[in-house]
Amino acid sequence: MRSDSTTGQVTEPALSQAELLFEAQQRQSRSFRRNVGLSWGILLLILLYLFSGQNFLGIKTIDLDFEFVRDNIGFIAGGIPQTLWVSFLSIVLATILALLAALGRLSTIPPLYALSTFYVSLIRGTPLYLQIFFFFLALPQLGIVLSGLFAGVLALGLNYGAYMSEIFRAGLASVGKGQREAAIALGMTPWQTMKRVVLPQALRFAIPPIGNDFIAMTKDSALVSATGFVHEVMWRATRVGRAQFHNLEALIIAALFYWMMTIILSYVQGIIETRLARGDR
Amino acid sequence: MAPIVKISNLDKYFGRLHVLKQVSTEVAPREVVCIIGRSGSGKSTLLRCINFLEEPSFGAIEVDGLKVEAGGKGKEQRQLIHELRLRTGMVFQEFNLFPHMSVLENVIEGPVTVKGMDRAKAMELAEQNLDSVGLLFKKDEYPNRLSGGQKQRVAIARALTMEPKVMLFDEPTSALDPELIGEVLNVMKKVARDGMTMLVVTHEMGFAREVADRVLVMAEGEIVEEAKPDTLFSNPKDARTKALIDRYRTGSN
Repeated sequence: MRSDSTTGQVTEPALSQAELLFEAQQRQSRSFRRNVGLSWGILLLILLYLFSGQNFLGIKTIDLDFEFVRDNIGFIAGGIPQTLWVSFLSIVLATILALLAALGRLSTIPPLYALSTFYVSLIRGTPLYLQIFFFFLALPQLGIVLSGLFAGVLALGLNYGAYMSEIFRAGLASVGKGQREAAIALGMTPWQTMKRVVLPQALRFAIPPIGNDFIAMTKDSALVSATGFVHEVMWRATRVGRAQFHNLEALIIAALFYWMMTIILSYVQGIIETRLARGDR
Repeated sequence: MAPIVKISNLDKYFGRLHVLKQVSTEVAPREVVCIIGRSGSGKSTLLRCINFLEEPSFGAIEVDGLKVEAGGKGKEQRQLIHELRLRTGMVFQEFNLFPHMSVLENVIEGPVTVKGMDRAKAMELAEQNLDSVGLLFKKDEYPNRLSGGQKQRVAIARALTMEPKVMLFDEPTSALDPELIGEVLNVMKKVARDGMTMLVVTHEMGFAREVADRVLVMAEGEIVEEAKPDTLFSNPKDARTKALIDRYRTGSN
């Protein structure tokens, strides 16, 4: 290291000093990331070891039936497309409902405002599990028979829509008053103002949280297995687990699949978020 | 010459607050009128009432032969207000460009969406106006890549592209860094030279003195004095005008 201040050499002092500081910072953050990764690896190894069936200092770890795993992992994996499909349909329905509910909430027409708050209150005041059963088991009593998939998507969509309406409400609120005024001053109607100026900005604000909810949805979609007619990951895991009394292995496999799905989706979500953020600058 | 803007007995209440009190004035075609006054004097509210961005409580606004009375309701009134807004262009203190649209898209948005103008024709008109504010080379940029002064010049081009009869400027330079104020004022001078009728709410006494045909002084919701700038600045009659001008004289040094 040079000591510019004492020797007084002409060595672009400010720049090199800034560079040194920057490098030190970079080094620090690199080593933090490396250590976190290392610790993750160790935790993963410990977890694997716990399920390895080995003897360690007299402690017997959990013994999994790997033959069962080998025979059934494909069957359970076959539920992944169903899980994603249910989640996708539900998030589409939820997004539409959430947007309508948020617009209703901003409406000055009393019945629309009431409809929006009534919907949100009713759905948020009852359990998702109950709602799924309601559409699948209770409606047939009234002569309305929905398929397991349809009942599940309806319940998940309605439920998430109620929670997601807050996202859109925040999104709409994030668009400044000046934006509306500029549109109005140009002569736009309220509808044109909403469609051309407010919504595009609100939606952009809402995309990252919608992504988060989609990830949460892939996990809550497991509840749809309760209907017994949607062959997604959870349904398949409980089916083979119960039949062969290997619930431990079956549920671990299902858990790993859900975990992998959320990791991959979170990664995709992160990319989308940075893209959107970049557009903002 | 018949006035192009006629403000008759305008009253505005915000709740119980009486912010405009029986304001009446007229503006001739091609006239540039600057409105000055302390903050809270009602000058911005007056301007915003002209295109019904604020709905006046009582009174009437007439622009280019179209008269809109306060207090009207229903579809007919909405149509009148719409017509009124087509006759007026507005420039805001905070620019209010649409951040999700490029500069060119911002400028053609009004003509295409509101007037149903053919896109190609709107683009031609928009490019002319962007050129006249000196920002044609920025047409594909997004607003967040522009300086404050550039944003405001685009906002002026956006308003001009609607081909209004009257331009309303609501403190157009108040949100700008001092070194960016000049470029915006220069564009406004150019717009005035091109014969546009302008109402300008401003704190820029220099601009008012140089460009305005007439200066209105507002205080406590009323026009307390109006005169040609030379007369007003050299020989203010109202004590409040005098105080305002003195304050700017000392403040500007």
